[in-house]
Amino acid sequence: MLVRLLVRRLLFLVLVLFGLSLITFTLSHLVPANPARLIAGPRASAATVEKIRKQQGYDKPVMVQYVRYVKGVVRLDFGDSTATRRPVKDDLRRYLPATLELGLSAFVLSTVVGVPLGVISAVKRNSWIDHISRFVSISGLALPVFWLALMAQFLFFGKLQWLPDGERLPAGIDPPRTITTLYTLDALLTANWAVLKEAVTHLLMPVGVLAYGSLAVVTRMVRGGMLEVLNQDYIRTARAKGLENRPVVVRHALKNALLPTVTSLGLQVGLLLSGAFLVEIVFSWPGIGRYAVNAIEKVDYNAIMATTLIVAFVFVLMNMIVDVLYLFLDPRISFS
Amino acid sequence: MPAGQAAATAVSEERYRSLGRADRQAERSHLLRNLKRFLLDNRLNLVGVCIVGLFIILSLFGEVLAPHDPYAQDIMGSKLRAPSLEHPLGTDELGRDVLSRVMTGTRISLQVAVVVLTFAVSFGTLIGALSGYLGGLADEVLMRITDMFLAFPALVLAVTIAATLGKNLTNTMIALSTVFWPWYARLVRAQVLSIKERDFVTAGRSLGLSPSRLLLRHILPNSVSVVIIQLTLDVGYAILATSSLSFIGLGAQPPSPEWGTMLSDARSYFRDAWWYTTFPGVALTLTVFAFNVLGDGLQDALDPRSSRR
Repeated sequence: MLVRLLVRRLLFLVLVLFGLSLITFTLSHLVPANPARLIAGPRASAATVEKIRKQQGYDKPVMVQYVRYVKGVVRLDFGDSTATRRPVKDDLRRYLPATLELGLSAFVLSTVVGVPLGVISAVKRNSWIDHISRFVSISGLALPVFWLALMAQFLFFGKLQWLPDGERLPAGIDPPRTITTLYTLDALLTANWAVLKEAVTHLLMPVGVLAYGSLAVVTRMVRGGMLEVLNQDYIRTARAKGLENRPVVVRHALKNALLPTVTSLGLQVGLLLSGAFLVEIVFSWPGIGRYAVNAIEKVDYNAIMATTLIVAFVFVLMNMIVDVLYLFLDPRISFS
Repeated sequence: MPAGQAAATAVSEERYRSLGRADRQAERSHLLRNLKRFLLDNRLNLVGVCIVGLFIILSLFGEVLAPHDPYAQDIMGSKLRAPSLEHPLGTDELGRDVLSRVMTGTRISLQVAVVVLTFAVSFGTLIGALSGYLGGLADEVLMRITDMFLAFPALVLAVTIAATLGKNLTNTMIALSTVFWPWYARLVRAQVLSIKERDFVTAGRSLGLSPSRLLLRHILPNSVSVVIIQLTLDVGYAILATSSLSFIGLGAQPPSPEWGTMLSDARSYFRDAWWYTTFPGVALTLTVFAFNVLGDGLQDALDPRSSRR
């Protein structure tokens, strides 16, 4: 049964990616830009442009081009970037780790802060901590992440000078030896304390800003879930048995209250991925968000399409994992 | 159809309609009462209504009410001036009055929201209604297509579409319409599915009302409140998404006083001109916040089933 579910979700994943490639490919061919001209540059002769057009297959029928494109994508070959003049694959390999480090840290931060905040604010309703958590969940949904980033940069870099304004490491400091590609983890593993300190201070602001939106979601979900569960009979029974407050809250209530929060993981991944596009620009963070925005400025279709496909892939995959996880966590749902 | 039967149908349809009218009247007074409670019981709702009201007034008359011409440059005289009586929110790098630009910017935001959501609601309702009413294969196909659009992070999909079509506000509106409609399709489908089983629809069908009439006059009007709640929430999100795209460099292009475009320009001056980066963002946050509050409040007032607390 589980296998069937997995197969169905995987088929959907393939379908989604196929659909997206079709959408972007069609759109980019509706636009009358001449890709060969973009590759050759504005000063190239007509003959050179024509040569590139033939070489890249832009003279073939659209269907042929599409099939060629999909064949490439399956082998992770997204063509060359017209902006960086490198294969898009190499660019992605270079920029993906930065986004991964940013997104994962934000995810961990919002969970580590959000779950306790939600629990405490539900248990101590209408206390000052509850007011804080409700402020966070309302403001987190209304605050534009790019504006929050600008304000944080103004305060912590411009005024207080506590934190650097951007990038992953200061100029002149070499990244740690690559093990996981995440600078903080690699520095930790190689016991490179100087680099670790720099990597963490550079990470703080972007991560804090990016985490705020999903922190709002987590806090809201946990608080709501807890409030609902705490009113149920089995909790009253547990209290009646004479259990202390802490085990009731942590062992009995939280376990069930977290279930709806797991469903919101998908939403969070979406928030983090789209947020990364905006946060990376403000903090000059060398991730795929900034890469994509640069590609947009330079009308670099191969790079735009590749980053979108990657982001969609991660998003759908994460949602799939959440679905499966949910089956394991909630015994009430059967596999059928 | 024999004459007698036709007359009988006409009579019972008249009765059926008058029943509906009484129902609707009852619902309307119920709505008014709820509305009063909605504004007076929860102060946050009142704040939301006030900000939204101000936003709508500014979007209609902002350009007239603005103290300065939002596009008038004064590079020599008043470049990046801090807030003063002359310029309450300061000036930007070209000496333009930030207050006037923020005020004028409301119109662009509202315009985008109206265009995008009009399309999203009409197209989404069409797909959702067809899907829910027809059921079967049509439902399956339409919903799988809808799911596909929902399978991407909305902003990223919008960025891709806007980027491939080219950088301007029209293409951004097209891109945002593409990401907003599927939500309405799902919403309306769910409503239609539950309403079409209700007794009054069966009654209408047994009277021989045509499917299109049943759908348009009887089923869809009953789904309106759910759509309105979602719509209110989405006005805020549509404005936020537009500004986000403009901030990236898609969407509105300079010298447009769109808030995201202004913030994108202001980025280079964040150390010298705090007012320039602050106020467009405050306007944006307040607007999104107000529509969120209003949407949440409406949900509590219009949809008694939701107990969100």
